[in-house]
Amino acid sequence: MRQLLKVSVARKILRDTTERTALSILPRIVFVMGKGGVGRSTVSAALGTVLASRGEKVLIVEWTIAEAIAPWFGLPPAGTDPCLVAPDLSVMNYRLDTALRQYFADHLGLGLFYRRVIAGTHVQRLIEAAPGIAELLFLGELFWLTTFAKSEVGLHFDRLIVDAPAAGHGASLLELPMAIAAIGASGLLALEVDRVMRMMADTAQTGVLVVTLPEELVIEETLELVPRIHRNLGRQPLAVIVNRSVAGLVSGVEARPAWLDALAAQLSPAACDGLETIYAELAKRARRERELRHALDGATALGTYSLEDQLAFADDVSPRAVIQALSAALTRQLGDAL
Amino acid sequence: MTARLHVLLGGGGVGKTTLAAAYALALARGGRVGLLGIDPARRLQGALRLRLPDLEVVVPGTGQLRAALLRPADSLRRWAAEACPDPEQRARLTANPFFLVLADRLASSTDTIAAIRLAEWAERDPALSDLVVDTAPGLNAIEFLARAEKLAAFLEGRLVGGLRWLAAKPRWGPVTWVIRGGARRVLGGLARIVGTRMLLELAEFVSLVQSVLTTMLERLERTRCWLREDSTEILIVTTIREDAAYTARQLAEALRRLGLAPTATIVNRAVPCPLAEELSALGLGQLTREPAAVVRYARAYAAMQSRVVEAVTPLAPMVAIVPAARDLDEDGRLDAFAALGDQLRVALGQGSAPSADFACRLSHINP
Repeated sequence: MRQLLKVSVARKILRDTTERTALSILPRIVFVMGKGGVGRSTVSAALGTVLASRGEKVLIVEWTIAEAIAPWFGLPPAGTDPCLVAPDLSVMNYRLDTALRQYFADHLGLGLFYRRVIAGTHVQRLIEAAPGIAELLFLGELFWLTTFAKSEVGLHFDRLIVDAPAAGHGASLLELPMAIAAIGASGLLALEVDRVMRMMADTAQTGVLVVTLPEELVIEETLELVPRIHRNLGRQPLAVIVNRSVAGLVSGVEARPAWLDALAAQLSPAACDGLETIYAELAKRARRERELRHALDGATALGTYSLEDQLAFADDVSPRAVIQALSAALTRQLGDAL
Repeated sequence: MTARLHVLLGGGGVGKTTLAAAYALALARGGRVGLLGIDPARRLQGALRLRLPDLEVVVPGTGQLRAALLRPADSLRRWAAEACPDPEQRARLTANPFFLVLADRLASSTDTIAAIRLAEWAERDPALSDLVVDTAPGLNAIEFLARAEKLAAFLEGRLVGGLRWLAAKPRWGPVTWVIRGGARRVLGGLARIVGTRMLLELAEFVSLVQSVLTTMLERLERTRCWLREDSTEILIVTTIREDAAYTARQLAEALRRLGLAPTATIVNRAVPCPLAEELSALGLGQLTREPAAVVRYARAYAAMQSRVVEAVTPLAPMVAIVPAARDLDEDGRLDAFAALGDQLRVALGQGSAPSADFACRLSHINP
């Protein structure tokens, strides 16, 4: 009996269900990675808006304690079930406990096993403390969403955008299947690792977009992250997106342009100091962006794209307005690639 | 614990790392200060322009400041050596695949190790007066505060006992599955998922690591108490950005759920208050493209600043406004960092009164 169960479960796991979408050169699952605070969620929401406006059914998958995208669309934070925030655009938030229940009870049909073993406090604690299990189930959930979700629960998405956890955590997501494989797992876990690894190796299924800012420490990290992704995924990231770009605003060539002196004459010393600080910062960001583009030349499949800092260009800088502005910018620049 | 603990929390890119380094440098003028970076992205080294090992080193030119960057693999190896004097046992432990995974700096273990590392530092250096801790961005850092409870609960649990029992039986076959018993049934089920070899490796890991764990748990407990001491400062950092202010609020709520309260909110990269008013009086008409864009940007920035200050004011008893620093990546960086640290200390009410240009906003909000 156990043997039979094993075989049926194994068959289910191994069944080849790879679906291909030929909508664009973007893969089915786009991981959006980058250091915390670079605007990963905003870029994910903007990309989702662009793709949804082209008729794709898009799901943004977040993994965070505080889901932020749905509130930007005026809704309460999204839970573990996909929640529609705009036409054809849904958001969900990953949680380990829900993923475990869905995996064992709903997907594998091992409801009794789930209740007797997995749902126990000690096992839950072991799973929480065990390195990598939460990450593996996260990737497993993405696999499920692009394969079985349609036949099992009638859920279908053309595209997943994964708002990956901040840099260190996000990149370890790509290293994880190998780390688990190294432990020498057998049984269900090994099968799960195997199918997740195949998904990650498939260029039609997965790819990474890196979001960065023209700031010194963020750039340092991006220049480490891009080769790390290349190494772990076995291919280059799709593109790098420089968020809050001001390269089109100031040249940053002059240390102190003449107009600044002219303006300074009309301001109090404190205000003048404030304006100088802001100009110095903008000029520095413009210079850094040029250096970053140079350093990233040839390091990604599609190149480096810039999204303008909305503080400088728009009157309305509410998250919703920023998402709209950024999706327009993405369409302009990445139109062909999308 | 005699040393004062200062924990900086905040969203990504708000300047936590820079402020932690600056604060530590300023404090180091008056005593023996430690600075621990726990961010896996290792930004602290960039800020100090120094390669930092896991065990603290003196930062050249500061005398009293010692800095370290958490490298979980090195910490674990050191603790294993400390707890397993027998070289053969130690070799088996450090070759165990679970140990390797744990040591492989997977995100989920960093936070726990950081908490243990804090207590270890205080033990190793009793003369320490202050320990400043930089944290991972966003709500991940809360894990570092909550982890002590989580890990202790797990390690003391029944399953660990079961795993030890498992490790003690090398000839372990399918017959075992039939034996009833709580931990055994659970383990049997687990073996079906992860495979028996992996479970045996885990069991061996648990039995080997037992003495290491005892010390680790004691240290975790000490950090847990340290965080609750009156002298401990928990600082939430934000910058002039909507999302950073949102994260600050989430952090304050998460802290409250853990029974901890933030000491102050730090608004980083602020511009002087008169800027907004004077710029709005300025006509953009006669300006060329670049200055017009910069003025427009500066106006939006100042407006955002008031929104952020207003949003974070209710989160803690104090709001510290820290001016945007300009010279951090030029030569003589350490001085610039220390100067920023002094500004932070002033803003936190340590020493002289804050400059009127920045204090005006505070009085406007807290009349």
